Amino acid sequence: MTGIINEPGQVTNVVWYRNVKVLRRVGQTLALVAVVSLVLWLFNNLVSSMNRLNIGTDFGFLSRPTQFQIPFDDGFDPRSPVRDMVLVGVKNTFLSAFFGIVLASVLGLIIGVARLSSNWLVAKTATVYVETLRNIPPLIVIIFFGAAIFTFGPFPVLSEAVQIKFPGRSDNLLILSNTRWGVPSLAAGPGAGAFWMFLAGAVLAAVAAFVWRTRLHERTGAPLQRMRYPLGAFVVVALAGWLLVGDAYAVSWPVVRASARSIQGGFVLNYGFMALTLALGMYTASHIAEIIRGSILAVPKGQSEAANAIALSSFQRYRYVVLPQALRIAVPPVISQYLNLVKNTSLGVAVAYAEITSLTVSSIGNGRPAPQSILVLMAVYLTFSLTISFLLNIYNRRIQLVER
Amino acid sequence: MKSMKRWPALALGLVLVASACGGDDGGSDLLSEVQDRGTIRCGVNDTLPGFGIVDDAGVYSGFDIDFCRVVAAAVLGDANAVEYVPLIPADRFTALQSGEIDLLIRNTTWTATRDGQEGANFLFTTYFDGQGLMVREASGFTSMDDLVDANVCVQTGTTTELNLTAIFNARGIPFNPVVFADNTQLLPAYQEGQCDVFTSDVSQLTAFKATIEGEGGPTQLILPEVISKEPLGPVVADGDSEWAQAVEWAVMATVQAWEFGITSSNVNGFTSDNPNVANFLGADGFETGIGLPTDFAVQVISQVGNYEEIYTRHLVPLGLPLDGTPNDLWLNGGLMYPPPYR
Repeated sequence: MTGIINEPGQVTNVVWYRNVKVLRRVGQTLALVAVVSLVLWLFNNLVSSMNRLNIGTDFGFLSRPTQFQIPFDDGFDPRSPVRDMVLVGVKNTFLSAFFGIVLASVLGLIIGVARLSSNWLVAKTATVYVETLRNIPPLIVIIFFGAAIFTFGPFPVLSEAVQIKFPGRSDNLLILSNTRWGVPSLAAGPGAGAFWMFLAGAVLAAVAAFVWRTRLHERTGAPLQRMRYPLGAFVVVALAGWLLVGDAYAVSWPVVRASARSIQGGFVLNYGFMALTLALGMYTASHIAEIIRGSILAVPKGQSEAANAIALSSFQRYRYVVLPQALRIAVPPVISQYLNLVKNTSLGVAVAYAEITSLTVSSIGNGRPAPQSILVLMAVYLTFSLTISFLLNIYNRRIQLVER
Repeated sequence: MKSMKRWPALALGLVLVASACGGDDGGSDLLSEVQDRGTIRCGVNDTLPGFGIVDDAGVYSGFDIDFCRVVAAAVLGDANAVEYVPLIPADRFTALQSGEIDLLIRNTTWTATRDGQEGANFLFTTYFDGQGLMVREASGFTSMDDLVDANVCVQTGTTTELNLTAIFNARGIPFNPVVFADNTQLLPAYQEGQCDVFTSDVSQLTAFKATIEGEGGPTQLILPEVISKEPLGPVVADGDSEWAQAVEWAVMATVQAWEFGITSSNVNGFTSDNPNVANFLGADGFETGIGLPTDFAVQVISQVGNYEEIYTRHLVPLGLPLDGTPNDLWLNGGLMYPPPYR
């Protein structure tokens, strides 16, 4: 039999059902067909059910009026269209997620390091904190914080609110009640625009200082000091702007209204926001603490020993040797925790916080079409998550440890 | 090799054509499905005393619960053949649309928008209600206009939420809603002072007032203004008129029995010289073609009772009288007027 072994360039004829290339193509095609037909069948099912029930399948509901008032939001007009409600929900979700992430990161870092402390009490307290919060579902933590701190907590009703005065003045530094807290804020005055131009100039000055120190270091080897000079430049220009403009911002003090049912002025924090942010910050901190602890332990022991050998203090060892290496390892898992926190803000309905999921639930309960509303909701969370992971992945790539 | 590259595209094209041929399945036939299944899935409230509440043993009781049992007795002959599905307001119409429940009897208000947008079909009103506002008597509020800037506890997904916004805005009264999805969170918030006002249907307010004061809490005051009409009744999904008619005539049978003077104690062996009574009780196999068994009225009345008995059993103890209200029989000046069973 000739042709068992091919000459170069000679093609053997194999039956198509034994030709591996063909089989692979067929397999992939069948898989694709199966997935696509499943999705199309589901979609067709949904559309025909909605048509049978006479529910609209378009997105026109976004232009119709919302018809309900948003909790703790004085400025919202119920006649505005649903897309305005969506924007308010996105803003509220962002606020809670942002402050939650900040709290979780700071607290997580502290507790993660504390767990490795040589002080027995500190280490044990941190362990108890982590093991308790990590093992309770986030919804329970949120409801607990809402109930324990606010609903059944020590704060009085607004009519008898605790008003802590600013020392030396009769204005309120802090108003505490079981529904709202008030803190002073800055209200823009007539000079605000001019002041912001000075701030822009201050940023430019900081960048210029940064570049100057870099060039100076390259030329003469002078210490980089790229934190203090730009910071100093920023502060000097901003301060100059503040003093020159004079009436850029005035302090707005919070005052309990005469009706004793809400707070006017200042920055008002409602209890839903505080309960949700605090609960999620502490819950996610317990996860981040474990990540930090793991990444500190992943730094080779020789590094700590070498740091001790050159007589660095414990703080210096962490600040200059261990943490710079540990935090680089920690970034990818911490990104996941941040995304989890953003998604967990959807539990805000349990504490009457008007974030996007709770507003969507209200909207669906009041007659808006459910499939389209949920699609909008999914798009919101997808945008949040993809943006956060995109930005933080850029950061991660820049600081990753490169193995040679 | 060119033909091989075209295969995925060809296959995809075939699939798209095939799926486009799939039509929808026309109207559904819930009545026969329920009869085959042997139980009715009824969407109910489990947190509202008097209307729908579950006790520690898992037993449901209430005005709306009894109407679920009425439908079961009529369609299946057994008032206990009900599977109760507790729902919060935000989910109730989705459950109905998806077919998770056959019937929604959950103090649900009939509105035009719900008829149009929720794929829902509202049936005979079993309770004529209105929305009210409840405050603590010690707060000093006496009318709605005192409620400027008030914090109002309200449940989301209800007409209450929408009416509150519309009425307060129309009167120019600024307010702040404190919104939860579940009644069980609203009451503690109200009792701990996180809101000044609790708004809901007057029947619910009466039930909660009785509960709060019964536990030794501060005296509550239901403000005099009734700010909306809230006709409550059973709801089924659009597109199945056979099922809708069966449910509706089962429910209306309770009022018809009340009109004839038939109660659970005298239904067996009840006679009258009114020929309609005999047909109503299924004598001589009177057939209407609705799809219910001929003796459905006897089953309903003997196993559950007539409208007056159901009402008196659950709502009168809460402080909601029957006489002189819109829920009274038409012969007494109320709105309960069942079409003739003829």
